Parts: sequence; structure tokens; C-alpha cells
Amino acid sequence: MDFDDTPEEALWRTSVRDFIGAHGDELPGGYERYVDREEKVVQRKRWQRLLYEAGFVGVTWPREYGGRDGTPMQQAIVTQELAKVGAATLINGIGLGMAGPTLIAHGSEAQKRRHLLPLLRADEIWCQLFSEPAAGSDLAGVTMRAIRDGDGWRVRGQKVWTSGAHYADFGILVARTDPTLPKHAGLSYFIVDMHVPGVTVRPLRQMSGDAAFNEVFFDDSPIPMENLVGEVNGGWRVAITTLMNERLMIGGGGADLGIGVEELLKHAAPHLSDLTPERRALVRQELGQCYIEALACRLSGYRRLTGLSHGQIPGPEASAGKLAGVALARQIADLGVRLLGDDALFAGDARGDRHWQYVMSSSPGLAIAGGTNEILKNIIGERVLGLPAEPRLDKGVPFDATARQRVEAAR
Amino acid sequence: MNFDLSEEQRLLQSTAGQWFSDRFAPADMRRLLADDGQCVDRAALADMGFLGMLVDPAHGGGGLSVLDLAVVAEQAGRVLAPVPLVSTSAEAVVLLRGIGGRHAEALLQSIAAGRELVTLVDGVFADGDTVSGTSRPALGADEATVYLLLIGEANRRSLAQVRRGPDASPVSQPALDPTRAMARVRLEHARIAPLGSGGAVDSALARARCVAMSVLAAEDLGAAARCLELAVAYGGERVAFGRPVGSYQAIKHLCVDMFVLVEQLRSLVWFAAWAADHDPEQLPMAAAAAKGYAADAFERCAEACIQVHGGIGFTWEHDAHLFWRRAKVDRLLYGDAAAHRDVVAEAALATVS
Repeated sequence: MDFDDTPEEALWRTSVRDFIGAHGDELPGGYERYVDREEKVVQRKRWQRLLYEAGFVGVTWPREYGGRDGTPMQQAIVTQELAKVGAATLINGIGLGMAGPTLIAHGSEAQKRRHLLPLLRADEIWCQLFSEPAAGSDLAGVTMRAIRDGDGWRVRGQKVWTSGAHYADFGILVARTDPTLPKHAGLSYFIVDMHVPGVTVRPLRQMSGDAAFNEVFFDDSPIPMENLVGEVNGGWRVAITTLMNERLMIGGGGADLGIGVEELLKHAAPHLSDLTPERRALVRQELGQCYIEALACRLSGYRRLTGLSHGQIPGPEASAGKLAGVALARQIADLGVRLLGDDALFAGDARGDRHWQYVMSSSPGLAIAGGTNEILKNIIGERVLGLPAEPRLDKGVPFDATARQRVEAAR
Repeated sequence: MNFDLSEEQRLLQSTAGQWFSDRFAPADMRRLLADDGQCVDRAALADMGFLGMLVDPAHGGGGLSVLDLAVVAEQAGRVLAPVPLVSTSAEAVVLLRGIGGRHAEALLQSIAAGRELVTLVDGVFADGDTVSGTSRPALGADEATVYLLLIGEANRRSLAQVRRGPDASPVSQPALDPTRAMARVRLEHARIAPLGSGGAVDSALARARCVAMSVLAAEDLGAAARCLELAVAYGGERVAFGRPVGSYQAIKHLCVDMFVLVEQLRSLVWFAAWAADHDPEQLPMAAAAAKGYAADAFERCAEACIQVHGGIGFTWEHDAHLFWRRAKVDRLLYGDAAAHRDVVAEAALATVS
């Protein structure tokens, strides 16, 4: 057990630091999560491309597709160093964390050659078209249809909660290709070009005021044969790969979700002397609790990272990191606001600084986006602990059966 | 970076796990609750090398790391083994090593060989070369053969030993968890033999407490993990309304909450033990984090285990309350969770000021 870099890792870390030091003026700040204006998109694409050209993006990906055949530890070092300087997450995070690894695992040779390099360079941005208004946690219940049309398909329907769709060039899409089969069995997984006819992206405003995600409408949009990933009606297996990677991406590696405890400490330290001794004792209790939890989250991330570098495949247990990280982020955000005193009654202070209120209003969504707490608990309960599954009324029933037929079939 | 146990530690884990589960079961606590039996077979523990793990090989010990001891302690915790890993193998040994000198080394040899069980006792005052009065409750005191007396207050502390006997004996009191051998010690003009004094005692004591807290958190980790296993097993067996209760989210999610607590605790325990071996500067914070988290996590797991079991869960016959008893005592040892959170807050705030 040790927390030191190997000599190779130390060299690598130095090269990452040197790069960041030399390009400080290009660095997008951490609270620019809300990419709404064209110039921000341009700036953040440029930043990812610079980082890629320096060799720090897609480090673990195969060299033949633009990666560096590097180790998970090297990629983690890049992430750590970027976090230290408060850099925003990369604009193509969904491409890098979810679409790319899925294509590497299930894509055809032609798909990998066509898409992976532009994805790494942020020349083409990706989004994830999975959830629908009536299918989120129950993802396999998606109703969006893909209907055969000549060699390819046409898709019709609506997707929702699609982060970054307003500047994405491609999406990974799960749609129903055979509604006469049971729900998991009739799905296919596609690459969809966001610039083809019939695609309409409409921003959705969140409670924080951001419009980071969207609803996306498809009106007979064409998908060519070569954009099918995996087999026809074999999309669920491919989607699972995407979801596994999502779990690792969000909280699995121990990175802060939303906000780091150091920022809370810096915020709290000057306020402590204003408090009565009784209040101060209570605040110190919460600070201690947050710090312990943050330490545990980071250390648990190190354990997962160690497993990855020993060749273990990330499993559903990584979701424990998201559960713990989300609870911590919510507590940090809330305490941050309460420390503002009377200004906690407002959405910002008299000078217009809204930072802590913004962080607080962003935090409920963390427990929903990327897998709700409840769904993650079901998955850990069943796949990790081996508890029996909840009975399902739609198991083995053709998807197009009516609700009544489904209930009867389940009996 | 490599945050995992080594091959040797995995082997130690399985050897110790087998050894403890062959000899002990939570049900032993029920027997102890009924008839006050002897808990420790110290010759067997010494044969395995568990008492002297941290003792220098020159004094008959294993010369092993705190992390190694934590690995063993987790396995002892799983079966609520009534063994003095915290009070003797960790606290007394680290304290004696820190003090050094001929008398301390002789005691270390006796500990490693299983001749003496040594435990630290606090809260007494000396009058010349004898001590009278009643100590604060001390872990392992009911079983110990030699007491290390901490005399006086910070900066003017001294450490002395006294052998258990008519003038130095545990006070009988009903036990909440009899496997902890918790007792106050009554001293009546007990003649003491000095071991050390001043700053050396303070610094040795600070480290000994941190190591003891880390090892205690490791025992709690094992016990909390066992509570989770019991709850999951019952959730899969017990049927209500035509299906196993573990299929209901109300039960399943409770079990997952336990799982998250156990895994977070495991990371903190390993870190505290690692810090004890390699990073003395971080040790006070790391040990407080592990012990403070363990107090809450184990207590919550023990209570959830009772809840998942329903009616059988709060019977005398079921083991669930034995884990709960252990949790209710352990959470208060070396300071409660609130005290540890405050220590961590102080250390954390110091990093930003």
C-alpha cells in the first residue's frame, strides 16, 4: 500500500503540470458548467483539443484509434491535476466517458475509425439520447421507434434530459426496433447524426437556472445502416456498457461531485469567529463530518482506481461512490449557504454573488442525473449484495401488449 | 499509488479469519453475559503471534505493521472475539515501545509471550510511590494481569506499572458488552514501579491512542460487515406477502446504506493504519476520521441488522443484539464521534488558514 507515484507516474504528473502551467490563460473555470454561448463552446473545444494534442485526453484508449495505450492511473493523474487548478470538466465528457468506451467495446472497425479521433479532439461533440419522458429509471421501457427504411432506419419520438444536445454533433441513441418482443429484447443502439433533418433540440431550464440539458425531438430522422452499434435488437447489452462507464465516470473515481470540501473550508474559516460558541461547535461538527466523508470518498476512489490498474473490470459497486458523493455534495452546498447568515434568505448577496445559492440549487439534481439514488440502490442490492429482485410485471411480455395484458401475463 | 492490501496481507486476512471463526462466535458473548466466564485464552493468542504483532522481533514480537494488525482485528471483529487486540496488542505495546527502557522492554517480552495481559488505566493520582483511588473505566481491565497507570495530567504525566492483586483489582459492574472486559480499577495504597514521565509519556501516549483507535475501527469494520451479511442473508430467506423481504426496496435500500457505510469505513481504516505506519503527521486526523466514522457506521449497521430481522431480531437468542452491544460500547471508546469530528475539523481548518 502506498500513495506515491512511481517514477514514471511522477514524470507524467510533471508533464501534466507543466502543460497546465504553460496554458493557464486557456483554462476554462470550474463553474462554467453551463455552456450556453457559442464562444464558450468554441473556447472549451479549443481547450480539449490542446489537451489532446499534448497527449492528455483518451490516455487509456488504443493507440490505433488516437489514444496512448496508457494506464488508468495516468488518466487519473490528468484528472487530479486539472481538478487542482479548478478546471471545468472537458466539453466532450459524455463522448469520452460513455460513447467512446462503448464504441471501443462494441463498435465496428469502420465506426471506430470514423468517430474516435474527432471525439478525442473535440472536433465532434457527443450527447446521450437514452431517457424519454416516460422511460428514465426504467430505461428499457423506451418507446421511441426506429423503423426500417431501405438499408437503414428512420427514428421518430422524443428524448429528454439530454446534456449538451444543443452543441452536440452526434448522439448515442437507444430506440425500439421490435415492439413485439419483450422490452429488453426489442432495442437497438445507434449512432445518430444531430445535424440530419427532423432533429429538433429544445433547451430545458433547471431549478438552478441553467439550461445544460435539453429535450430532443426526432421526426423521421434517417439513420444509415453503418450507424447501428452491435446487433439489431441487441441494443440493451451495448447500453449496459455505456451505463457501467457512466457509473465509473460519476463518483466512481472519487473525484468531487459538484463541489469540493476544501472550498467549503475556505468559505467557513472566516465566518467561524462571527458565530456564538454554541453555533461554532455545531458548525465544526458538520465541517468535521464533511471532511471525513470527503476523505472516505477520495480513498474509496483510490481503491477502485487500484483495482482498475490491476485489470479489474468496473462493476456496479462503483455506484456506491456516487451515492456517498452525492450525499456529501448536498451537505457541503447546504452548509455553505447556511454560513452566509442573513444572505442565505436571498439568491445572492447584495453585490450579486450567487455562488453558494447556485451550488445549493444544483445539488438536488445530482441525486437523479446519471442514475437516481433509488435505481443505484436497486442495482447494488441485487448485483452486488445478491438480494432477490423485485417482481416485474412486464418480464417476458411483448412490449406492445397493453398494460392489462402485461398484468395478466405476469399472473 | 496502490491502495489495496498486499498478497501477504490477504493471506494473513484469510488465516486470521479462519482462526478466529474456528475458536469464537458471537454466541460466546451470550454465555459471558450469563456467567461471567473467562474470555481470553492468551496462550493461544500468543502462539498465533497476535499479541506481539507490533513488538520488536528482538523482544519476541512479530515486528509487523499497524496495517497488518488492522487486518487481523477486522477478522476478530467479525465474530466479536473477546480478545485484547485494541488494549494490549495496539495501545499497551505502542505506549511501551514509545517509552522504552529496560522495564518497558521486559513487559513487551511478556506480552508477546502471552505471560501478561497489559492494559492502560487512566484517572488516578499518586501519593509518593503508592496509588489509591478508582480509575476511569478501562478497556481490558477486567482481564489484565498488569496495569499501566497513567498518573497526573498532560505535561506532568508519568507512567507506572502495577500488578493486579488485592491492592489493584477491577471493580465488578454489569457489562453491556462483556467481551470488552471493561472495568474500573480500584487501587488501595498500591505500590507502583515507574516506567517514564514528562513529554516522552505524552508523545508515546498520543501515538498509542491513535493506533488503538485505528485498530478499534478495524474491529468495528469487521463487525459492521458481518451485520450486513446477516441482514442480506435473512432478506433472501424470509418470505412475506409471497416474496422474500429482501426484494422489497424498503429492506434492500437499508442493506445498501449499510454497504456504503462499510465500504467507506474500510477505506478510512486502511488509511488510518497506513498513516500509523508511514505518515505520523496525518495520523491524528486519520485515526480520528476512522474512529469517528466507525462509531456511527457500526451503530447504524447493528441497528439496521436488528430492524431487517423483525421480531427475531430483538430476541435474546439472536446474535443481532450482541453486535448492537459491541457497537453501543465501542462508539464511546477513546472519545465519541462528536469528539473525533471536532479533531478532524480542527485539522481540516488548519489546512486552509
